[in-house]
Amino acid sequence: MSATLQPEADEAASEASSRTGRGPWATAFRKLVQDRAAMICLAALALIVLACAAAPVYARYVSRTDPFASNVDGSFTLGGQSVQVMQPDQGGLGLGVTPVGPTWSAPYFLGADSQGRDVMARLLYGGRNSLFISSLSTLICLTVAAIVGIVAGFFGGITDAVLSRLLDILWAFPIYLLAISLSIVLISRGLTIGPITISSDSLALPIGIIGIVYVPYVARPVRGLVLSLKQSEFVLAAIGLGVPNRRILVRDILPNVLTTLIVFAPLMMALNMLTESALSFLSIGVQPPAASWGTIIQDGQTLIYTRPLVAIAPGVAIALTVLVLNVFGDGVRDALDPRAKLRFRA
Amino acid sequence: MRMRSLAMLAAGALAFGAAAAPRAQAAAAHTGGTLKLVSVASEGTIDPQINYTSMYWQVFFVTYDGLVGFEKTSGPDSNTIVADLATEIPKPQDAGKTYVFTLRRGIKFSNGKTVTPDDVVASFRRLFKVSNPNAGTWYNVIVGADACLKTPATCTLSGGVVADDKANTVTFHLTAPDAEFMDKLAVPFGTILPADTAAKDLGTTPAPTTGPYMISQYDPNRIMKLVRNPYFKQWSAQAQPAGYVDEIDFNYGLSDEAAVTAVENGQADWMFNQPPTDRLGELGTKYAKQIYIRPLFAFYYAAMNANLAPFNNLKVRQAVNFATDRRATVNLYGGPRLAQPTCQILPPGFPGYEPYCPWTKNPGKTWTAPDLAKAKALMQQSGVAPGTKVTLIVIDRAADRAIGGYLQSMLNSLGFAASLKAISPNIQFTYIQNTKNQVQISLTDWYQDYPAPSDFLNVLFSCANFHPGSDSSINISGFCDKGIDAHMQKALSTAVADPEAALGMWAKIDQQVTDQAPVAPLFAPKHLDFVSTRLGNYTWSDQFHMIFSKVWVQ
Amino acid sequence: MLGTLLRRLAQMVFVMFGISVIVFLIFFATPGADPAARIAGRNASPEVLAQVRHEFGLDRPLPVQYALLMKRLFVTGDLTSFVNRGQKVIPTIEEAVPVTLSLVLGAAVIWVVGGVAVGVLAAANRGGVVDRALMILGLIGISMPVFWVGEVANLLTQSRLHDTWAFSWVPALGYKPLTVEPFAWFKTMLIPWFTLAILFIGLYGRVLRASIIEAYQEDYIRTARAKGLTERRILLRHALRTSLITFVSMFGLDFGALVGGGALLTEVVFGLQGVGYLTFNALENLDLPVIMATVMYASFFVVAANAIVDIAYAALDPRVRHGR
Repeated sequence: MSATLQPEADEAASEASSRTGRGPWATAFRKLVQDRAAMICLAALALIVLACAAAPVYARYVSRTDPFASNVDGSFTLGGQSVQVMQPDQGGLGLGVTPVGPTWSAPYFLGADSQGRDVMARLLYGGRNSLFISSLSTLICLTVAAIVGIVAGFFGGITDAVLSRLLDILWAFPIYLLAISLSIVLISRGLTIGPITISSDSLALPIGIIGIVYVPYVARPVRGLVLSLKQSEFVLAAIGLGVPNRRILVRDILPNVLTTLIVFAPLMMALNMLTESALSFLSIGVQPPAASWGTIIQDGQTLIYTRPLVAIAPGVAIALTVLVLNVFGDGVRDALDPRAKLRFRA
Repeated sequence: MRMRSLAMLAAGALAFGAAAAPRAQAAAAHTGGTLKLVSVASEGTIDPQINYTSMYWQVFFVTYDGLVGFEKTSGPDSNTIVADLATEIPKPQDAGKTYVFTLRRGIKFSNGKTVTPDDVVASFRRLFKVSNPNAGTWYNVIVGADACLKTPATCTLSGGVVADDKANTVTFHLTAPDAEFMDKLAVPFGTILPADTAAKDLGTTPAPTTGPYMISQYDPNRIMKLVRNPYFKQWSAQAQPAGYVDEIDFNYGLSDEAAVTAVENGQADWMFNQPPTDRLGELGTKYAKQIYIRPLFAFYYAAMNANLAPFNNLKVRQAVNFATDRRATVNLYGGPRLAQPTCQILPPGFPGYEPYCPWTKNPGKTWTAPDLAKAKALMQQSGVAPGTKVTLIVIDRAADRAIGGYLQSMLNSLGFAASLKAISPNIQFTYIQNTKNQVQISLTDWYQDYPAPSDFLNVLFSCANFHPGSDSSINISGFCDKGIDAHMQKALSTAVADPEAALGMWAKIDQQVTDQAPVAPLFAPKHLDFVSTRLGNYTWSDQFHMIFSKVWVQ
Repeated sequence: MLGTLLRRLAQMVFVMFGISVIVFLIFFATPGADPAARIAGRNASPEVLAQVRHEFGLDRPLPVQYALLMKRLFVTGDLTSFVNRGQKVIPTIEEAVPVTLSLVLGAAVIWVVGGVAVGVLAAANRGGVVDRALMILGLIGISMPVFWVGEVANLLTQSRLHDTWAFSWVPALGYKPLTVEPFAWFKTMLIPWFTLAILFIGLYGRVLRASIIEAYQEDYIRTARAKGLTERRILLRHALRTSLITFVSMFGLDFGALVGGGALLTEVVFGLQGVGYLTFNALENLDLPVIMATVMYASFFVVAANAIVDIAYAALDPRVRHGR
């Protein structure tokens, strides 16, 4: 199972020193900018995002192949010679066909996959989906977790008890079961909830699943933070002065929670990217012919002995992106809240 | 080396028609050892009257016997039915409504009890009591079956299957003549079990056998172990020959990649699953001598829902057929050596097969190339709007996903907005059958049960086999043509008296169904067996594939 | 204390009950999940289908089916699979547990040793080249998808480098029981162990380094320094010891989750038929009885590990009690 974030068991929130105002944010920003490793990683991340965003350009002007249509009977010219994309086996009994290997030039830079599609172009397109899914699911996860954590922590009592048990259930729930079932439900009819209709090949499915399953990992520390903030002197004082709840939430609690969420964001995104790849690898994530790095690994698995690069390349892409996100996330944490304790769980 | 020379000697001796002595000697030299089989996964219950998988039918073939059975040999003779527990194949009486079987004497189950007419009667009652898959589709022809289908618990088949202990005979009475009755008795469902066998699914508990082997251990997550049946004495080398190996171990859980490696390294003798396509090149060059490729009576096809837009339009279905590049699908399956493109329903070499291909450039007998121009013209005529959404449902397996990817591209080139969904192998087959799931087009396959054209045409395309709203509706296209249905009924009844004439009728029906294009046939697959270097006397039965009792490992 | 324990226990039961209900409902809400036709076999007639449905109790109301399922799972223990008919679910899980335990225990030894080594070495050289190199390696370990590492490891050890001296000893994939062939067991497990451990070495090394460095700022370390103890002694005897509390609690949670089947991807990639593999197969086949049993088994370990870690924490650190 992929690594998953989990709050520290003691959930002790860092002392909520930063109040609203420009001061602490500006300090943190300056600190982050001065962190060389974080900045290099940010640049690398930007590069990866740009490259993936340019996928259509690559497919159209460089590889000149359709990365979503199978090209089993096709051929292309390489060094003046016509080369078949799927090459029948020559020696022996002549069983099987093997996709063309890496040409290290424009079409089929990394070779073709089992359907004769350009792996490089698919890698870029896959990156778009992987990045899109992991960032959007991070957004969902953080939003839901913030709401649940704040409500549970601030209101306490029965609300807290109910929400905490729900988080417990979600925590121990096997995400693969949820993913497999939902993907079958959505096969032909899509999902209709009120006015929203999700079609079967929509990316909303993996985004939703990944966004929801990790809510406890963020909601719990948020709840802990809110609990400790509630007992902090300035909140107690505000309550004593009769400041309305809404105002306390907005003025005192939210800014602090936001800091925690920002610290979580890059690390959650790294985690979500790993989860997305695992789900797609088990063919319950992104649906063909769309690609994600996980689905390309899955495609490449059937070629692992003859064309290992098809599976290796997306794996390297995932590892690189996750690495960059982790280093950047560390930088953000150091800048904003050096004592925040986040950790992974398997 | 000595082994091999002995085998050559045996072959030579046979060629000269010499006596059995050297043959027996050779057989003795090859007897013994353990045959090691591997498979990715087990296939469920080992109740021979319930399990409906080719994997276990291959096992049941050398463990259980029916009154009659397919000859255990290679070549076309393997499709011949011979007497097994019965002394001979009875002549039909009463215009094909009565058959009287005489049992061989002295045959014993692996628990030591003798096979009696009562066992036969009990076994046929048990078919209904345990809800055999085909109880209502094949065996409903027996007198008394109606009552048994309604209340299986009290099934007697009285008047349908009658034992006569004194004469050692069993008499079957049918409600109507059935040309395929012998086939239905010859498949493993017709297995004779002891009369006291529990009338419920045996699950993982093996029933006593009559054949040369019996199942001594079955753990669906690990292993099935077959050992020699101590009470077995060969009564017919054609129907049930004694086996060479002493033990057969069928191990489960190795991935197909790992299984190939295991056979390459001699850790296993045979793998059930087809090798993954990326290993084929390696096998074809380095292990060519250990490979056997045999045609299968099967075909892969895209089933189009004839009752749901857009495939309820004949022109659209024809367009799909014209546009389908069968060579591409063949290549994705493993290349031209492993599959043969086809346009029709019946597979090559099957009874009733006459080459026919309207869905190609230059229509005629064989498929040559797709005709995209014609396909697009048909799409225009059909009036189906470009951009119509269709969803193709395939099994989540590498080859199926790849073929699905190709079909999706093809549909898109016809102007559809096609999407592809791969779902778990175990669920897909029932999912695509149920009309409630509104499946438009799906990729699936059909393998014969027994060598009769009706097993393809009648099973897959008759009105009777279309059950809307049910998970069990094998006529996946929902194709129902009253005219063709009448032709099929006629062919079925003709076959009782005049099988030859019936075959000609089936060939016509094959063409009629093909023309209506309820499906897009893609190819007839071939079977590749990859065996260890030590495995000898490879024998392929068209019906049940490699015969475990005929091969030797030393 | 007893009250806390009882309350935790009640919470555990509640959580497991909630999960079982959700699993059950998801299963029956899934189209195509109805096992009757799959059990009956292809081309079964409607009568036969109805018989099978009745036989398996699939025609009963859902609450009754749920109660029966739970009774057969927890009371009579004779629950059988929908796919491999007659296969008892509980013995199947019992057989899978040793495989998972073999994998997880071996990997745990490697990652604890590796994690401590990395953490201590990095902390001792903090700011230096060794520290940086180890931290980057650790991050790389965390960043690779475990199934992909497994695939690449298989590619190298089973094919590309299989004929070289380095990996010619690697046996075919699959599990060999420890009791039958101890050495073969060790050889088959070695690569899976390392594959699973890589992630945790990186993780634990980083966490340990951070908490050692944090511990250095505590008063008692300053006292120890003032007393003139050697750096090595301070690191190993004092800083490491306090840091291990975090380490142990992390270990508890991870170990619980992995024993519960969390090593699913590793098991699938290496063909080890442990609990994770069983879960995956059952999910693929929508085999409700097996899904339910494995999910209950897995959630038990996750929930129990959580409870144990929490209780241990509460016992160790009085501050936490008030927080909750």
